Amino acid sequence: MPDRPLLRICYVEDDDDIQRVARLALERVGKMEVSIIGDPTVALEGILAFKPDLVLLDWMMPVMDGPTLFKRMRETDGLRDLPVVFITAKASQRELDELREMGAAGVLSKPFSPKDLPEQLRAIWRTLP
Amino acid sequence: MTSGSAAPVTLAPTREASARAEDAPGHADPQRVLADRVEQLYGQMPLGMLAHLLLGGIATYELWDQRNRDLVLFWWGLVLLVTAARAVLYYGYRASGNKLLEADQWMRWMAISALASGVTWGFAGAVFFPSHADEQQVFLAFLLAGVASAGIPAYAASWPMFAMYAGAIVLPFTYMLGTFGNRLFTEIAVLVPIFYLINVGIAYRLNRVFLSGYRLRHAYDRLTEDHTRLNKQLEQQIEDLLEARQEVEASGRKLTLFAERAPISVIEMDANSTILEMNPAAEHMLGYSTLELIGRSALNTLFPADEATLTPQWWAEFVARREPVTRLRVRCLRRDGLEIMCEFTITPLVSEAGDLVSIIAQCQDITQQLEAERLKKEFTSTLSHELRTPLTSIIGSLQLVNSGVVGDASGEIAELASVAERNAQRLLDLINDLLDIDKIESGKFTLQPERMRLDEIVQESLVLNKSFADRFRIGLEVHGELSDVQVHVDRKRLMQVMTNLLSNAAKFSPEGSAVEVSTRRSDGMVRVEVSDRGPGIPEDFRSRIFTRFAQADSTTTRHKGGTGLGLAICKRLIEMMDGRIGFEDRPGGGTTFHFELPVMADAVST
Repeated sequence: MPDRPLLRICYVEDDDDIQRVARLALERVGKMEVSIIGDPTVALEGILAFKPDLVLLDWMMPVMDGPTLFKRMRETDGLRDLPVVFITAKASQRELDELREMGAAGVLSKPFSPKDLPEQLRAIWRTLP
Repeated sequence: MTSGSAAPVTLAPTREASARAEDAPGHADPQRVLADRVEQLYGQMPLGMLAHLLLGGIATYELWDQRNRDLVLFWWGLVLLVTAARAVLYYGYRASGNKLLEADQWMRWMAISALASGVTWGFAGAVFFPSHADEQQVFLAFLLAGVASAGIPAYAASWPMFAMYAGAIVLPFTYMLGTFGNRLFTEIAVLVPIFYLINVGIAYRLNRVFLSGYRLRHAYDRLTEDHTRLNKQLEQQIEDLLEARQEVEASGRKLTLFAERAPISVIEMDANSTILEMNPAAEHMLGYSTLELIGRSALNTLFPADEATLTPQWWAEFVARREPVTRLRVRCLRRDGLEIMCEFTITPLVSEAGDLVSIIAQCQDITQQLEAERLKKEFTSTLSHELRTPLTSIIGSLQLVNSGVVGDASGEIAELASVAERNAQRLLDLINDLLDIDKIESGKFTLQPERMRLDEIVQESLVLNKSFADRFRIGLEVHGELSDVQVHVDRKRLMQVMTNLLSNAAKFSPEGSAVEVSTRRSDGMVRVEVSDRGPGIPEDFRSRIFTRFAQADSTTTRHKGGTGLGLAICKRLIEMMDGRIGFEDRPGGGTTFHFELPVMADAVST
C-alpha cells in the first residue's frame, strides 16, 4: 500500500458525457484532482505533463484503443511504473486476464457507479505495493 | 454400402446331395432289388396257376382211361390242392402292406410254392410213366418237357428257384427213363439232365440280365430323384439370387435418391483425388457440371492454390491412414472463381479385403453460416458496447443528481430523477441478462468453477442483497444452520443465482416480512432453499417460469421491475454446475425456490 493517499487521477476517455460524469464523481465525491484526456493519440504527453497517481483507461476508443495505449505507456520512460486501471463496457474474461498479466492494476466495468467510483479506485490503490 | 442381410448364395451342391450321388449308380439297394424280384415272381403266378390247371386238366383227361383211375384222381386232387395253396399265397402277397421289408419271407414262400408245383409234375412223371411202351409216353415226355421249360420265364427272377422247380420234375422222370431198360430211353435219360443243366444255365443268364435290369432301374430312379432335388435346389438358389439382386437394386436406387435429393454435396474420388462421381448438390455448390469435373483432380481443381489445410501432403497422409475425417473446414474454389468456405466429411471406402475402393467426400457450403455467426457476434458486441456507453452517462448523471453531490434536487424533480435512474438500471440489467443468455445458448459461456464452502457463499449473498431487500422493507434471515459442505462452483455465477432468488423473493414478499434461507444435505447433493411469504406462483405460470421472458403478468413486472430472464439464466447456470433448480408452494403460504448442487468429497481436492 502506497504511503500517500490517492489524489491525482488521469482519465483517458473519448466520450464527452462520460468524461463529465466521471469528473464530477471523482472531484465532488472523491475530492480528487482530475485530468481528462479525450484523444488517446496525445495521451502520453498529457499524462507525462499531469503526473497523476493513477491512470484510468477506457478500453474502446477510436484510432488507438486502451490496451495499445497501455503498451505504449509501458514503453515510455516516466510512465512505465504508473498504475493503470481499465474501465470497459466489454471484455471477455480471457482478455481481462491478459490485461492483468500485462500488469494492469485493476479492471472496472461500465456503467460505473459515480457514487462508488472513487472508493473502488482507492480500494485498488490500497492493493498496490 | 453393405451387401445387406441376404444369406450367402452358393451354386455348389450340398454335401448331403453329393454324398448320395456318389453311391447311387451300381449301388442299388439290395432289399429293393429283392422286393422287385419277388414282385416279378408273384406277377407270373396267375398265368402259372392257370397253365397248371389247364395242363393238369388235359393230362387227367388223357390219362383217365389209360392209367389207374384212383392214382389219376389223386394226382388231379394234388394239382388242385397245390394250385389252391398257391392262390392263397398269391392273395396273401397281394394283400401284404409291407412287401419291401417282408421280401425275404415272401421269397421263401415262393420257393416252397415252386417246389410244390415241381413236385406235382415230378409225381406225374414218376407215377404215370408206364412200365410198357405206349402213346402216353410221348404225351407225358412232351408235357413234362413243356412244363419244365415254361418255368424259365416264370422263375426268371430267381434261377435257384427254377433249378429246384425243374429239378423236381426232371429228377423222377429221368430215373424212370433210366430204369425202363430200353436203349433209346436210357440215351434220353442221359440227355435230359444235360438239357436240364442247359436250361438252368439259361435261367441263370436270364436271372443275371433281370438283376442288372433291376439295378439299372433303381440307379435310374435314384438319379432321377437326385436330379429333381438338385433342380429344386438350383431353382431355390436362383430365386434367392434374384431376390438378392432386387434388394441390391432397391438399395442402390434408394442410395441414388439419397444422393440426388440430398442438400449435401457428395463427391466420389479415387486415391489420387480424381473425381469419379458427384451429385446435383455438389454441381450446384461448385458451379461445375458433373461431366466437367469427372476425371479431374479435386485437389488441383476445387481448392485455391494457397489452401493450407487440404494440401497434397495432407491427402497422401489421409489415404495412408484410411480413417474418416469429419468437420474439416476448407476453402473451396467455385467455377466462377468465388471462394466459399466448406465443411467436409471425408470417408474412405475400404473393401473387406482391405483395398481402398474410393473416397466419399460430403460437404456443405458454410460461408453464409459463418457470416451469420460473425454478424451475430458483431451485433452482440455492439449491443454490449454501444448500449452500455450511453447508459454509463445516463445512470452516472442520475446517480450524481440523486446522491445530492451536485446540489439538492427537491420534490417532484428528485422523484422523477429516481424513477429515471431505476429504469435506466433496469435497462442495464436487461442488457446484461440478454448477453448472458446469448452466451449460454451459443455455448460460449464458460464457468470458472472452484472448490468452496457453501455456507460462506450463502452468507455473502445475504450481505450483498441486504440493501436491495431493505428497499422493500424485507428481512433476509438464515433458518437453522447453514451446511458447510464443499461445492465446486463458479463463485460469481452462483452469487448471480442467489441474488436473483433473493431479490425475487424480496420483491414479492409482503412488507415487513422476512425471506428465509436454509440448506439441507441429502444423497450426495446439497439443497439451498429461499422461501418467501409472497402470493405464490399462479397456476398457469408454473410450467413456463424458467423460460425466457417469463413473467406472471405485465402489471406486476412494471410494479416490481425485472427482465423476465433471471430465472431462465439461473436454471441454465445451475445446470451447468451439474445441479437442479425448482420451486414448491410453502406450507402456510408463499413459495420456496430451491437449487441442488453436488457435494464434493471431503478429503479429496481436485
